[in-house]
Amino acid sequence: MNRSRSRGAVLGFALLVALGFAPQVGRLVHVDTSIISEVLLTAIAAMAVNLLLGYIGLNAFGTASFFGLGAYGAALSIANYHVGFVTALLVGTIAALLGACVIAPFLLRRRGIYFALLFIAFGQVFYFLAYRFSNITGGEDGMSFPRPPLHLGPLHRSVDELGMYYVTYSLFVLSTIVMWLLVRSPFGRTLNAIRQNELRVRYLGLNTDRFIFVGILVAAVFSGIGGALYGLLLRFAFPLLLDWHQSGDFVLMTILGGSGTIFGPLLGALIFVLGKDIISTITPLWQIFLGGFFVICVLGFPKGIVGTIGDLIARRAASPVLAEENALDVSVLGAAAREPGVTEGTPRRRP
Amino acid sequence: MSDVVLEALNISKFFGGVRAVDDVSLRVKRGSIHAVIGPNGAGKTTFFNALSGFYFPDSGTVRFNGADVTRELNWKRVARGIGRTFQTPSVFPELSVHHNLLIGTQAERGIAFHFSLPGRTQHREIEERIDELLGFVNLGNVKHRLVAELSHGSQRLVEIAVSLSTNPQLVLLDEPMAGLAEADTVRVVNVIRDLRDRLGLTVLFVEHNMRVVLSLSHYVTVMNRGRILAEGTPQAIAANSVVREAYLGSEVIANV
Amino acid sequence: MFERLAPEIFNGLMLGAFYAAIAIGLSLIMNLTGTINMAHGSFLTLGGYLAYTLISKGTSFWFALLVAPILTALVGIIVERLLMRPLYRRDPVYSLLLTFGLSLIAEEVYRLIWGSNGVPFGIPPSLSGGIAVADFQVPKIQILIATVLALALALLWFFLNQTRVGLRLRAAVQDAEMIAALGTNTQVLYMVNFALGIFLAGLAGVLAGAQLGLNPTSGNALLMPAFVTVIVGGMGSLLGAIAGGLLIGLTVSMMTLFFPAFSEVAIYVLMALILLIRPRGLFGEEGIFG
Repeated sequence: MNRSRSRGAVLGFALLVALGFAPQVGRLVHVDTSIISEVLLTAIAAMAVNLLLGYIGLNAFGTASFFGLGAYGAALSIANYHVGFVTALLVGTIAALLGACVIAPFLLRRRGIYFALLFIAFGQVFYFLAYRFSNITGGEDGMSFPRPPLHLGPLHRSVDELGMYYVTYSLFVLSTIVMWLLVRSPFGRTLNAIRQNELRVRYLGLNTDRFIFVGILVAAVFSGIGGALYGLLLRFAFPLLLDWHQSGDFVLMTILGGSGTIFGPLLGALIFVLGKDIISTITPLWQIFLGGFFVICVLGFPKGIVGTIGDLIARRAASPVLAEENALDVSVLGAAAREPGVTEGTPRRRP
Repeated sequence: MSDVVLEALNISKFFGGVRAVDDVSLRVKRGSIHAVIGPNGAGKTTFFNALSGFYFPDSGTVRFNGADVTRELNWKRVARGIGRTFQTPSVFPELSVHHNLLIGTQAERGIAFHFSLPGRTQHREIEERIDELLGFVNLGNVKHRLVAELSHGSQRLVEIAVSLSTNPQLVLLDEPMAGLAEADTVRVVNVIRDLRDRLGLTVLFVEHNMRVVLSLSHYVTVMNRGRILAEGTPQAIAANSVVREAYLGSEVIANV
Repeated sequence: MFERLAPEIFNGLMLGAFYAAIAIGLSLIMNLTGTINMAHGSFLTLGGYLAYTLISKGTSFWFALLVAPILTALVGIIVERLLMRPLYRRDPVYSLLLTFGLSLIAEEVYRLIWGSNGVPFGIPPSLSGGIAVADFQVPKIQILIATVLALALALLWFFLNQTRVGLRLRAAVQDAEMIAALGTNTQVLYMVNFALGIFLAGLAGVLAGAQLGLNPTSGNALLMPAFVTVIVGGMGSLLGAIAGGLLIGLTVSMMTLFFPAFSEVAIYVLMALILLIRPRGLFGEEGIFG
């Protein structure tokens, strides 16, 4: 369409290609390949939050439930049925999808702050399942399992750390392309319209609940892939992967990298994962730094790094997908009563 | 087809102990421009919201083309042919005018749920439809501007165009002139008139601006304190002493 | 059967009182400011630790029970003024992240000051032992907990319904701008409201420390059931939070007795069932406290 956007596409493509050489570059500067894998798989999981938060405007504070289900899906299928690498990945992803099918119908009922509350609460159920059913999941101690060999077409090989990176990299590239196509599709554009003004979308004759439901399922797939990869990377699954603290990390990364942008989750994951790794090797008090980091990001970089730079550069381009940080909150829709005298029809923000 | 598009029978709506709308009935004739007027707090917007499914009335019946839609969800009513606007223009502020209309046109074509882009032919049809809608409200010159950057009047016209994108038979306009400058009022009045004259639609609107109401509408319903005070032709309403009394002190009607 | 059941019922009611007090604090803050306070559990823990420190410095349990929650509320006021205030007009995601970060910091700070392991929190000898009810002994501490929390909630109800500030607070929940226009200083209301919520958390924290143990994350363990309580009771309903809390508390204690593995999962199933029947919770009506 316009020049700046096609330049963006070229830059994005170049970035994706360059990431293919990240392990080699990482070795030069003494960065473990597995850390780079962690960045990419975390970025895939953060894309899920980005879809919900940046494009639909939902407070996605429960995606760790899907992420953890991905990891446990892979873990349990390997530990109990000795499945291959690809099958384990698929089982993890499907487990996340099924989990979403169970809780999403409850989340759809509310918006805004109540959506966040419901998502946190319902997300936590999987944490307690993993925690309590220790004869299956190992409980608090988690469960370790071997990384199975990869059988894909003519390819039969065991997966070392470099192999793990390339699997993660391939899925990251695939996820990025899928997300890029998704937000430009009629479906994605409608999601973005819901973020800006859900009431108007309903008065265009669309059942927004249905869109949000599918949006949550798509987010669950992304989270599940990320989680299954994480399990396979660590060869370990543990209940904290399902905890709301993990969800909060993903949200922070998304905000930090810039919500509603294609490469925001990658940037956020890069800063977060590397930062956490470096800080935790320097000081045992990393949690204070991490918490402080949250506070500084919220008070100092509300639009994230990509958003702040993007604001400076591309203010005039009327890009429909470069979303702002604010989600609308139409907590009462359709059949619900509202006090008289409240102006309706405009995107409302909570005071 | 019956000549009544929308029929409201004995609509009541309470908020706590307050009777915002109390036993109000109304018929909107096909192809008419019908105004609902009344002082602040008369229950006009509440009544309107009950008609459009923003919320459900506590009692009463709403029929559209003969079908009972009283408890039908708002998004389902749109498919039957009801479109509406709000007091504050309800649009997608961060999108261009073009994309605002694209969202509506996608919805109307039934492809809003598609994960793939429309084919070449369909894409051209959609773009033609968008241009047609833009031409109708005379906004072709700001097609690629962000809606948030437009004047209030232009945003109002974008909202009307977006509402039209779903091909309604009946358009409900909630105070379309609210907050508009004089020049913008003229633009919007002309578009509302065209809704009926050029597109053959039926219009029901809530309005404060008495001059607009009297010049535009074929039929006027006056509400006061949640009830209907009077109804009739604009001329009859302007001459009605009860209405004049309710509006006592209002300079607009005094000048008519 | 009764001998096994009765203690669990009392235990459940006591847990329920905790959940209700925490849920009401969360709701107060959520309804007025549109913020979910993810650090609420940290304030709970803080209340417990402050009481522990006071008692180990030689003050009486009763003094600590009153003063520790006040000190906790003061910390709450500082946090509210310095960190929360800039976020009120912004998307809820920011206040969520902020309070989330605060909970991480708090956990580590508690660990630095009071150590990673649980600390013994001695209840005064006058509170040990039980009182005979029929042929069953109810622990005195449980009676104390139920009494104190019930008293606190009754005072809160009185404040919200019978005092000028309380009524303004309830009105502000409905329409902050209108109250501002009427001349009430909304900033003060926000502060009072936050302090009230944190005071309740601190009070529950002292009592929970005495009964359930105290470690850097002990408050967070009560946070999730309190979330469920808010949802089950209906957001914004004082009565709902009490009913929801007792229901959840009893569910937890009964499940602990019969199917221990399901004790947490059961409350989520309960929450799902209640939402299916009553989408807004048991007493759900948004924004109106009373």
